[in-house]
Amino acid sequence: MDRRSLLKQMLLAAGGLAVLPVSEFTQARVLAAYDELQITPAQQLLLKKLVDTLIPPTSINGEILRGAAELDVHDFVLVMANDCLASADQKKFSAGLQLFDDFPAANGKPRFSELDRADSERVLGAIWGHSNPQDEAVQALQYFLTTTKWYTIQGYLNSEYVMTELMPYQLVPGPVFDGDRKIDPEATVNIHG
Amino acid sequence: MADLNIKSAHSNSYGAIVIGSGMSGGYAAKDLCEKGVKTLVLERGRSVVHNRDYPTTNMMPWEFKHRGEMPEDIRRENPIASRCYAFKEDAAHFFVKDREHPYIQEKPFDWIRGYQTGGKSLMWARQVQRWSDLDFEGPARDGFAVDWPVRYKDLAPWYSKVEQFVGVAGFRDGIPHLPDGEFLPGIELTAAETHFKSVVEAKYKNRHVISGRCAHITGNREYYAKQGRTICQQRVMCQRGCPFGGYFSANSATLPWAARTGNLTLRNDSVVHSIIYDEKQQKATGVRVIDAHSKEMTEYYAPLIFVNASALNTNLILLNSTSPRFPDGLGNDSGLLGKYISFHNYRGRVTAEYDGLKDLTTFGRRPTSGYMPRFRNLHKQETDFLRGYAAGVHGVRPVEMNYDGVGEQLVTNLMNPSYGPWQVSSHMMGECIPREHDQVTLDRDKIDEWGMPTLRVNVGYDDNDEKMIRDYQQQLAEMFDAAGFINIQPQDDHRNPGLDIHEMGGVRMGHDPRTSLLNKHNQLHACKNVYVTDGACMTSTGTQNPSLTYMVFAARAVDHALSQTG
Repeated sequence: MDRRSLLKQMLLAAGGLAVLPVSEFTQARVLAAYDELQITPAQQLLLKKLVDTLIPPTSINGEILRGAAELDVHDFVLVMANDCLASADQKKFSAGLQLFDDFPAANGKPRFSELDRADSERVLGAIWGHSNPQDEAVQALQYFLTTTKWYTIQGYLNSEYVMTELMPYQLVPGPVFDGDRKIDPEATVNIHG
Repeated sequence: MADLNIKSAHSNSYGAIVIGSGMSGGYAAKDLCEKGVKTLVLERGRSVVHNRDYPTTNMMPWEFKHRGEMPEDIRRENPIASRCYAFKEDAAHFFVKDREHPYIQEKPFDWIRGYQTGGKSLMWARQVQRWSDLDFEGPARDGFAVDWPVRYKDLAPWYSKVEQFVGVAGFRDGIPHLPDGEFLPGIELTAAETHFKSVVEAKYKNRHVISGRCAHITGNREYYAKQGRTICQQRVMCQRGCPFGGYFSANSATLPWAARTGNLTLRNDSVVHSIIYDEKQQKATGVRVIDAHSKEMTEYYAPLIFVNASALNTNLILLNSTSPRFPDGLGNDSGLLGKYISFHNYRGRVTAEYDGLKDLTTFGRRPTSGYMPRFRNLHKQETDFLRGYAAGVHGVRPVEMNYDGVGEQLVTNLMNPSYGPWQVSSHMMGECIPREHDQVTLDRDKIDEWGMPTLRVNVGYDDNDEKMIRDYQQQLAEMFDAAGFINIQPQDDHRNPGLDIHEMGGVRMGHDPRTSLLNKHNQLHACKNVYVTDGACMTSTGTQNPSLTYMVFAARAVDHALSQTG
C-alpha cells in the first residue's frame, strides 16, 4: 500500500471531521520541492495564511515589523516538514494539513482560508483547546499546528530580516567574549548577540 | 624489464612516507619537510585545501536550508555519524557516511571518521591539555596495561615546541598534574564558572576549575602570520574550516608549512593497503597504495615510514601488512597488535541551574569552556575504581523566550526575551582501562571495494567505567550543591564507545617487545624504520583530549628518526 492510500485510510478512519479534500489531494499537481509531503499550490497558500496568522506584521513601538508570510516562512515550514520530519510524523503533519482548512466547517463556519485575522486566531485556539484531544483527527490537527508554529518561530527568528534588522547577528568577528557583563535592564535582549 | 623496475622504483621513492594527513601525520610531515626530507603524505580521502574547500565557512545562519539541522533521510541512513555532535548541515561534508566505509561492531562502537586532507583535525574540539606523570605512571602504579616507556620529562620540551607552533590559549594555572605550557593569552571563565571555581577551590584540596586550554591563536600575531594564520575571530564555527586559521588544523598550519619547503608530496585518494617488508634488509621498504578511484595498486618506497592513519586504521594497515617474517601483521611478534584498544568515557553529565549573579550575563562566543583536571585517586587509591576523570564545566546565562500565543501577542513575546537563570552543565572525560579483550581484528571474508579486509571492532565499557560514572555524578552533584546550584540533574547518556572520538591503542608503546609493539621512540620493536605516532601508540588513555600528545609523539619521533639516519 502506498503512502497516499494509507493516508486516505487513516483520514477516513479518523472520521468526525466531515469533508475531506481528497479530490484535491489526488488530482492537483504537487510542488516538486516538497516531494515527500505531496503539497499542492493550494495547500502552500493555506500554509501561508496560517503562518501569517501566527506571526503577522505587527506594530511595536511605532515600528511595523514584517510578518512571517512576507518572509516566505511558510516555504521554510514546508522544507522542514518535508526534509526533517520522520515518515510517521510527516503522515500526521499531512493528515492535519488535510483536515485544517475545513476544521471551522464542522461548526458551520467558512473554511480557514476564508476567515479574517481575528477568526483565524480563534480557530487556532479552538484546535489547541479541543475538548476531545484523544480523537485521532484532533491529534493530527494539533500536531500539524504545533509543528507549524515551531517551524514558523524558528524560520522567523532565524530569517535574514530578524538577524540583520531586529536582532543583529555578527558572523565575523564574533563579538568579543565577556563572561561577566553587567546587564542593562533598559536594553532589549538580542538573542543573536 | 629490470631497468624499468628500477626506474619505477626511483620515481616512486621518497625520503619518508607518512600515512595519513591528519593531526599527527601532518605534524610529522611538517617536521620531516622542514628538515629537508622529501616526504610523501598519503591521504585516503579527497583533497581539502585550506580556504578553497570550506564551502560553508562564510554562510550566514539563514543561508542554511534547514538552519543547521540534518535532513531526516540522511540521519536515518547514517545513524553512527548522526550521533556526533558536529554532524550538522555546516560540516557534515567532512564526515564519513556510514555506508561508505562499513565496519563490523561486535559490540556497539561509534567510529567517527574524517577521510580528507587534514582528517579530523578540521572538525576537532581543539582542547589541548598536557599529560603529566600522573598519567604516564598510571599503569605501573595501578597495575594495568604495561608501563609507559616515557615520562613527562621526555615529552615536556616537545610539548613546548608543538604548542608554540599550534598556538594554545590558556592560563598558567600552576597545577602539577596538568602542567602549564607555552600559552597565548587565555580565555576567561564566565561569572557562574568563576563562582563555581571559588567555591570548589576553597572547599576541596586538589580540585581546580580552569579555562580549558584550546588550540586558538590569541596573540603573537607576527609569529602566526608566517603560517598564514591570524588571531581567532571568536566566530566559533570551527568545524566548517576557518578562513583565518584561528584554530589549528593540519589544513591551515602543518601541511601548508610542509608544502612551502618544496619537500612535500601530498597524494590524495590513496588507500594504503599495507607496508612492504623486505626480508633480506629486515626492514620496511615502502607501502602498497590502492587508488581510491581506479582501484589500481602502486608501490611507493622510502627508508622511513610513519603510520598516522588514525588509531583504528593504523591497526588495520599493520594487521594487513603480512609477510613470511610477520604472518600476523607487521611488528606483531607479541601477538598483541590490535589489542588493548581503549577510549574515553564521556557518558556522565550533570546539569543544574543557578539563581544567583542575576545582574550579570555572558556576551559573545568563546572557543573553550571551564575544565576541571582530574582530582580522583591523585596520589593514592581512594575509590573502588581505578584512575579518574576530568570534567568540562560550562556556565552560561541563556535568554529565555516566551513562545506563548499567536498573532501580535506572539510577536510581542518573541521581541521581548529576558534572561533566565544561569544554566550550568558538566560532562565527564573518564580514563578507560585498556583490556586485552578490547580489540580490533580483520575480517578477511568481507573485503571492501578497495580490496581491504573489514575491521571488526570489539570494544566496550567495563565495571570500572560504571563505577566511575556514578562517582562523577555524585561528586559533581555535591560540588554543584555546595555552589548553591539548584535543580541538579545527574545523567548517563549511555553513548557507545567511540563517540568520544578518542579511540586509542592497539599498537601500544612499552619497554618489552614481548608485551608491546612500540619502543620509547615510537618505533616498532621488530621493524625499527616504522614509527607509529597517532592514537594507536597509546599505552593508556589519561583523561586529557589526546591530539596534542599525538603531535608531541610525532615531533619527537621525527627527531629521533633523523638522528638515526644522520
